[in-house]
Amino acid sequence: MITLQNLYLRVGTFRIDNLNLDLQEKQIHVLLGPTGSGKTLVLESIIGLRRFQGGRILIGGKEVQKLPPEKREISYVPQDLALFPHLTVRENLLYGLRAQNKARNGTDSHLNRLIDTLRIGHLLARYPHGLSGGEKQRVALGRALAPAPKLLLLDEPLAALDPALKSEIQQLLLSLHRSLQFTALHVTHDLDEAYLLGDAVTVLIEGKVEQEGRKEEVFLRPHTVPVAQFLGLRNLVPGRVLKIDERERRISVSFWGGEITIPADHAARNLIYGEEVILYLRPEEVLILREGKPIKESLRQNILTGEVVRILDRGTQHWVFFRPLGVDSQLEIHLPNYVFRNLALQEGQKIQVAMRKESFWVIPVLIPKPPAQGNF
Amino acid sequence: MNFGKTAIYAALALFLFYAVLILSLLSFFEGKNFLTVLLAPDVLFSIQVSVLAATVAMFLAIAIGLPAAYALSRLNFPGKKVVDTFLELPMIMSPIALGAALLIFFNTRVGSTIQEKGILFVFEFPGIVLAQFATIAGLATRLMKTALDEISPRYEAVARSLGSSAWDAFWKITFPLSLRGLLSAMILCWAKAVGEFGATVTLAGTMAFKTETMPTAIFMALASADIPKTITLILILAGIGLTALYAVRLVEKRPPGR
Repeated sequence: MITLQNLYLRVGTFRIDNLNLDLQEKQIHVLLGPTGSGKTLVLESIIGLRRFQGGRILIGGKEVQKLPPEKREISYVPQDLALFPHLTVRENLLYGLRAQNKARNGTDSHLNRLIDTLRIGHLLARYPHGLSGGEKQRVALGRALAPAPKLLLLDEPLAALDPALKSEIQQLLLSLHRSLQFTALHVTHDLDEAYLLGDAVTVLIEGKVEQEGRKEEVFLRPHTVPVAQFLGLRNLVPGRVLKIDERERRISVSFWGGEITIPADHAARNLIYGEEVILYLRPEEVLILREGKPIKESLRQNILTGEVVRILDRGTQHWVFFRPLGVDSQLEIHLPNYVFRNLALQEGQKIQVAMRKESFWVIPVLIPKPPAQGNF
Repeated sequence: MNFGKTAIYAALALFLFYAVLILSLLSFFEGKNFLTVLLAPDVLFSIQVSVLAATVAMFLAIAIGLPAAYALSRLNFPGKKVVDTFLELPMIMSPIALGAALLIFFNTRVGSTIQEKGILFVFEFPGIVLAQFATIAGLATRLMKTALDEISPRYEAVARSLGSSAWDAFWKITFPLSLRGLLSAMILCWAKAVGEFGATVTLAGTMAFKTETMPTAIFMALASADIPKTITLILILAGIGLTALYAVRLVEKRPPGR
């Protein structure tokens, strides 16, 4: 396991304070955050290119923060790949093996397997300038993985690729990971990429870990408002805790002048009475009711009547903007194209929508202060 | 007038200005005298001194300038901006002033001790080297810094993560990648050193068969109204300079790895 403990780093006025990360072996861990959140600083600290003022980095239980980069056994793929332009593809691939005295006359089975998996055998005698974007990506991955590092660091290497090539390299990275089972930390601001590649995700915003966990947990159940905003979540409705039923494990929250009761485990933490919260309702889980069709019992409690304000054709799905009666806000509803066609919705049309209470997620607005650390 | 054409005319006018200067020399040029003057022992000696001193000064400037350029290009350290500014001093300071400063330094207690117990600089060959070094060291560092700036520090970062030490990463990656820029810097500095006059004449004087370089020989020949010798030496100096500049163009032409 690779661990970052209480990392403290200050660059000018920017500060990363008390950052903790646990990277499980053989997993791809994604460090996700907007531009300027400090992702690259964390990465440079792990490689050993940047000194930090406090904290520890442990690889397999051994502290490495005092070791120079070349002693850490961490490979790095930067955004621009930095393939050595004066060396052939073969020399690029062998660079790490030679530097670490692991080269064995080119017969290394690990290297040959990499070359086969990456399909770069025909490129070995060529120089990087003659390679296509995809070929360069494959060579960069091969070069980084050739010395079998303890950790592979990927600093947004797919950020500049066009969508088709990006998808191809993402698939390749996944199949490479399945076959070689390496441990990786992938830094990105791309949400789709984070979800596709990450086994675990840490969200870093303004130098602070806002949330970490399994990707499903992070993406569907954000713990803080900044995470929800960064993930671009729709349908974030402000509310207040009205009732807490500890016996039934339920909470009631105000919702556009009304009230909605939600299972207590659908909140990011234990809430207190009167606390301000944000209700998140997934746009895919808002149901548009058809006139004359019977309504299921589970949907009868949370029905809103209103009108379709706007419809956006997003190619693979349609986004319907719905305004409930008497409310000056809108709900966004995402419909697969076939559902949209069946409903034949028009802008200005009066409709009814239903929401399951399980489709809500409650995010507290205030973050509890960490307990004061005293001397014992 | 068309903007593009105006710019081209300006470039051509500059070319003509320098071409006319060179051609005007030829109006006094006597071919039969050229070889006689060129092969004269004092002229051959001044060429030899100039080339030798410039080569030593250039290697010294590279030996100190390259690590300095690396530090200025890649590292952060206290006083970096002050050091960077001082590098431009020889470029804005008159060479005679630089030579005078060196001469005055060797009249201080430290300078005198160096002269007495170390190497003699004033009016000696090492003085020529030192004067040329003082003139080109800043320029060499600045040119090499520019060459290093063009190479992304990420190459070194990747090399280090792959197991190379800082030295190894520099010699195996940054050095070969910046080699063309470094060679250009070497050639330009060498050419500038060969043509250096002010600091050299102030510190080393101009003694025939001792400290007379090509530029000081030109000055002396002109002072004694020896026009054939003056023109021959100017043409040799211009030839060396133009050859060096052409070499720089050749070196810069081919990008690495092609």
